[in-house]
Amino acid sequence: MAIHQSCDGIARRDFLRCGALGFGALGGPGLSLASYLRLNAAGQVHEATAKQGIFIHLQGGPSHLDTFDMKPDAPTEYRGTFNPIETAVPGMQITEHLPKIAQCADKLVLLRGVTHTLGAHRLGSEYVNTGTRPLPSLEYPGFGSVVAKETAPWNAGDLPAFVSIPQNGHQKPGFLGIQYAALSTGGAPKAGTPFRVRGVNLAGGLTIQEVEKRQNLRNDLDIAFQSIQQEDPLLAGLDRFSQQAHAIITSRRSRDAFDISQESPHFTKPFGESAFGLSCLLATRLVASGVRFVSMQMGGWDTHQNNFSRLKDDKLPTLDEGLAALLIGLEQKGLLESTAVYVTGEFGRTPKINSKSSEGGRDHYPRCMFMLLAGGGMRGGQVIGQSDDKATLPAHEDQAFSPDDVAATFYHALGIDHAKEYHTTTGRPVMIVREGKVIPAVFA
Amino acid sequence: MVRTPAFQAAFFSLVMITDMGFADRDPLERIDQRFTPSATSEKPSFQRHVVPLLGRLGCNGRACHGSFQGRGGFRLSLFGYDFAEDHAALIDQDHGRINRENTVDSLILTKPTNADRHEGGLRFPKNGWEYRVLYQWISQGAHHVAPPQKLIQLKIAPAEISFRSADETTNLQVTAHWEDGTQEDVTPLCRFKSNDEQICQVDREGCVTAGSSGDTHVVVSYDKLVVPVPVLRPVTDLVESRYPQIETPTRIDQLVAAKLRKLGIVPSAQAGDAEFLRRLRLDMTGSLPSVPEIEAFLANPDPHKRSHKIETLLKSPEHAAWWTTKLCDFTGNNDQQLNNSSPIGNRASRDWYEWILKRVTDNVPYDQLVEGIATATSRSPGQSYTEYCEQMSKIYREGKSYSETTGLAYYWARQDFRELEARAIGFAYCFMGIRIQCAQCHKHPFDKWTKDDFHQFKNFFARVNYARNGSSPQSKDEYRQLLATLGMEGKKGAQLRKALPKMLQEGKTIPFPEAFVTKRPIRQKKNNDDNYPVFEHAKLLGGDIVEIENGSDPRITVMNWLRAPENPFFARAFVNRVWASYFHRGIVEPADDLSLANPPVNESLLDYLAKGFIDSNFDMQWIHRTITNSATYQRSWIPNKTNQSDRKNFSHTIPRRLPAEVAYDAVLLATAADAEMESLHQDLTGRAITIPGTGQRDRQPGSPTYALRVFGRSTRDTNCDCDRSSAPSLLQTVFLQNDRDLLNLIDVRSGSWLNEIALEINPERAAQGKQSPKKINRLRKQIGKTRKELKTLKQQTESAEEIGRVEKRLQNLQHQLTALSPSQSSKQKINLATEQLRKLIRTAYLRTVSRPPAETEIVRAERHLLESADTLDGIRDLMWALINTKEFIVNH
Repeated sequence: MAIHQSCDGIARRDFLRCGALGFGALGGPGLSLASYLRLNAAGQVHEATAKQGIFIHLQGGPSHLDTFDMKPDAPTEYRGTFNPIETAVPGMQITEHLPKIAQCADKLVLLRGVTHTLGAHRLGSEYVNTGTRPLPSLEYPGFGSVVAKETAPWNAGDLPAFVSIPQNGHQKPGFLGIQYAALSTGGAPKAGTPFRVRGVNLAGGLTIQEVEKRQNLRNDLDIAFQSIQQEDPLLAGLDRFSQQAHAIITSRRSRDAFDISQESPHFTKPFGESAFGLSCLLATRLVASGVRFVSMQMGGWDTHQNNFSRLKDDKLPTLDEGLAALLIGLEQKGLLESTAVYVTGEFGRTPKINSKSSEGGRDHYPRCMFMLLAGGGMRGGQVIGQSDDKATLPAHEDQAFSPDDVAATFYHALGIDHAKEYHTTTGRPVMIVREGKVIPAVFA
Repeated sequence: MVRTPAFQAAFFSLVMITDMGFADRDPLERIDQRFTPSATSEKPSFQRHVVPLLGRLGCNGRACHGSFQGRGGFRLSLFGYDFAEDHAALIDQDHGRINRENTVDSLILTKPTNADRHEGGLRFPKNGWEYRVLYQWISQGAHHVAPPQKLIQLKIAPAEISFRSADETTNLQVTAHWEDGTQEDVTPLCRFKSNDEQICQVDREGCVTAGSSGDTHVVVSYDKLVVPVPVLRPVTDLVESRYPQIETPTRIDQLVAAKLRKLGIVPSAQAGDAEFLRRLRLDMTGSLPSVPEIEAFLANPDPHKRSHKIETLLKSPEHAAWWTTKLCDFTGNNDQQLNNSSPIGNRASRDWYEWILKRVTDNVPYDQLVEGIATATSRSPGQSYTEYCEQMSKIYREGKSYSETTGLAYYWARQDFRELEARAIGFAYCFMGIRIQCAQCHKHPFDKWTKDDFHQFKNFFARVNYARNGSSPQSKDEYRQLLATLGMEGKKGAQLRKALPKMLQEGKTIPFPEAFVTKRPIRQKKNNDDNYPVFEHAKLLGGDIVEIENGSDPRITVMNWLRAPENPFFARAFVNRVWASYFHRGIVEPADDLSLANPPVNESLLDYLAKGFIDSNFDMQWIHRTITNSATYQRSWIPNKTNQSDRKNFSHTIPRRLPAEVAYDAVLLATAADAEMESLHQDLTGRAITIPGTGQRDRQPGSPTYALRVFGRSTRDTNCDCDRSSAPSLLQTVFLQNDRDLLNLIDVRSGSWLNEIALEINPERAAQGKQSPKKINRLRKQIGKTRKELKTLKQQTESAEEIGRVEKRLQNLQHQLTALSPSQSSKQKINLATEQLRKLIRTAYLRTVSRPPAETEIVRAERHLLESADTLDGIRDLMWALINTKEFIVNH
């Protein structure tokens, strides 16, 4: 009964303002009672095993027909030049240029025939990064920022809750506010050179001792507001973030978390030397250190021209090596069950091959695409959904999933109720994912 | 024009209570007492009783049947007021919400009484008064009389509540006054809400219970009206006659004190000169004061020096730049939204900035400034399209300022203004400080606006258009002619964008996009709302209906309405925003939400400022001057026992984080060499407050883009003052403590204060003399060129080898640039004598926290300097430490 009393639900903007400094975070982590009851009613309660998440955005929109949704029997102008191969999962076939991923297909939930209608890079990207179609009046937060907020107050001190490699991309904090933005590494690690993160690594020549000395000086001089700094929310917040920044900069743990050279060569080798592979290595290490969410981008999938050689020679081998190593690496560290992984582009590519270049290319195509989920209590080794015989549309309407549904599922794996409501600064109640439904088969 | 009752009658009706001519008639008694078990034959009214009852029961809430999908196959309009739709939903025979044959079987009786399964549970008991009201309405035919009657006023007794102690209670009584002269006690049909549940709680019956001390409002909603009732419980017993004598030199102070006196809050003492100067500088000019400026101000014995300072700063280029930045926030100067709105890339946002800058600098009256935006077209009256293009070509070619043009036409080029709805929302946000977007889809829950109000208001903007690719339809021939002259006939989009800038430079006249007034109104119909009518006219919010089909630009009507003295939004919105920029909050907070449910914390103060602003002929400097000269603005942040928990009545200064641009500029100014000060303060070279648009594209190393993002510069993308963030975050403190850009600004670099010291005491460690800026510049240019080359190359070739070569070259150049920065480890270490050290410490304090250090602070800093290997290292640490104090990053 109690939960119905607030049916009229006019929420005042003050609601968010109290939480604006990250103290009275709405609801806190985990399910609220109302959320729990809602899920329970829908028969969806399942013990979420994921505590951490990784999101990989394949920027540009990878061709689904040439990767995870092949149509070897389609006419030539659709089929493309690649051949399918068998994977570790009987019946699940993917392209011959992803042999390593094929070997660990048992860890993958492969979604085919995912569909939406936003065929521009920015709009599509915002969509898949948030799980909600972009609105002009409101910027929705990305997965990482929602996780950071649901985790607040973040007590790991010397580690940020949310890290993005190399840039934030479309994982923006939106209406949640900049306090939930990612710490961006500003670059990808390079083989053989020490990795530096903007703001985290000490500037050239500085030692911890010098930093501590400087910090002591600051502490002694930062006394003007002593009489009110406990009560004033801004001053208290500045102090808290200041201590956290100092901890991140000086702690062994945070520097170690970013230092991929500490991994054994045996562990490192499968990740290869590409920027993406090493980013996957870094993500593995960050997750192992306790960072709650890592987002990554891998660009170059916008293959309007020379689709096949670009995929075969560059994109696919790089993805194959990095993603396979990530999944196996997480498993080796015992983290796969507790880490939900989501890989997607902003759309698929036109089933029909264009003739803009000698070998042909494929253009933007949101109506049919693939997405990948792994780990985090999701049951790997299955294909969910299906596209029609030319991969132009979902084959069955009742199995036509949208980015909203996959986002809801991803949140579900992370133990976050996707239908939970936040209040924007204008007092407007907004659900994390407005229209998605959890896909039960992912967990079945 | 069709006249409707003047809007201010409705708006100010709260004040005009009894003289409506029908006060002598007794109001109808409460509905719960009329519909007793002993029965009544009264026929309930759909508008007055049934819909409000459903609202109060929560049926039309968004989690229940007000949801756009409905619930259980039954949908009501969210928050009510769409009577036709609600009536249709109720009488729909297929769904049995009402059962005409057998009233008791009506679902709206069986479900809320739990006689039938109802997810929403029990809402009222069977045979309670609510039941009988609905029963009787159904059994008497379930009628609805259209159109809706007009509710003139909600009279609430008591009009305000003063509590003396916690747990005291007061019952509110609400009387509705209808246009037909009837009155009714509608207390049981209202919705009540406390704006601060700490201070008071209110139950469904309108019984208010006191909580902790302080003040807030209870908001009462019925039909379309929303009325706030002030509730106050004094913080101390120092009220009224026991209140101490305090100085109230200005009208602002008197009005603020009048409220404080009720609350028993005594304001803080006046801030010292140094504190005042720093605060004023940051608020009014977005800048830190310079060291000589502080010294001179502190030494000046003139009792009027604060007022004189205010006058000087009002005329400074920094004030103009900072306020232009704020106005660019409100008006939405966003590069992304202006994409391709000018033939020269990125020029539109700069033009926008300069257009406003000129008017702020000249202190053009605010209504004229707004008129130039709100009614802008690209061409001046009588100007042909060709003449317009000639004029623009000349301006662009000769690097002249766009600011001479009469209107800021780019405002209407915003890509997010393609839909009429978005124009209305943006316009109302920008010039009226209200959020009417709620009413786009449903009755505004916090204000009186209905969906009809919204969709009639948007029509004022139905006759302006921006021709991004070409000219207005009437001038198509001229446009084609112009292209023909250029030999570009039939060329479009990207081809033109590529070719035209070059032709412009060659001295040719090129076509420009234009904002123009269309002959016929643009009609847009949302396909997801098929049943909703399309209005053929426009209607001012709370005001007149206006024909838009023919004649002059309807925007002119809106502008004249805005600038009329009785307009309740225009002046209030602006003075409130200015106030908010000098305090930690507006008199209405959030400052862009002037809604009925969000009343000003001090109504008479807002009225005074708005009236004064109008009387000054919209003199923007008048508000800045009036606010900053008040004792209220000049109070210390140090609280006393009575005001320490006050955060909204302006009894002391509340520390607030520096806005993004101001924070960045503060670091720039604090660390710059004395020789650089002139250009930083006067020409504003490199200052963040001169960045015109949102500038997302600027990725140069050392550019402020990253810092500005981290500190929450306004994104200018959702029509909300909250696009600018003043919240603290981890990334900000990481930036201040350890970001390479910040450390580099502090360090010995050409143009830094530390470098000046180095040149004096340890030239070996100074950045390499005078030719290095030149060399650095040259390198930067080369780097920029190489970057471009790389980009082009990447588009043209797939060859990793070729790309790699250029990448290597780029890296090499970058290394050279880094090498020009001085080395960290110098051979020679030099330490200064105590006297010199103390002088440097004093300067470091003045540069950062704008006050001389206390003796204890000097001693602590000196100890650090003496322990440092070298004075330069020590000073660098000291600057780092000061910049990382809270005192630096907050205004106080």
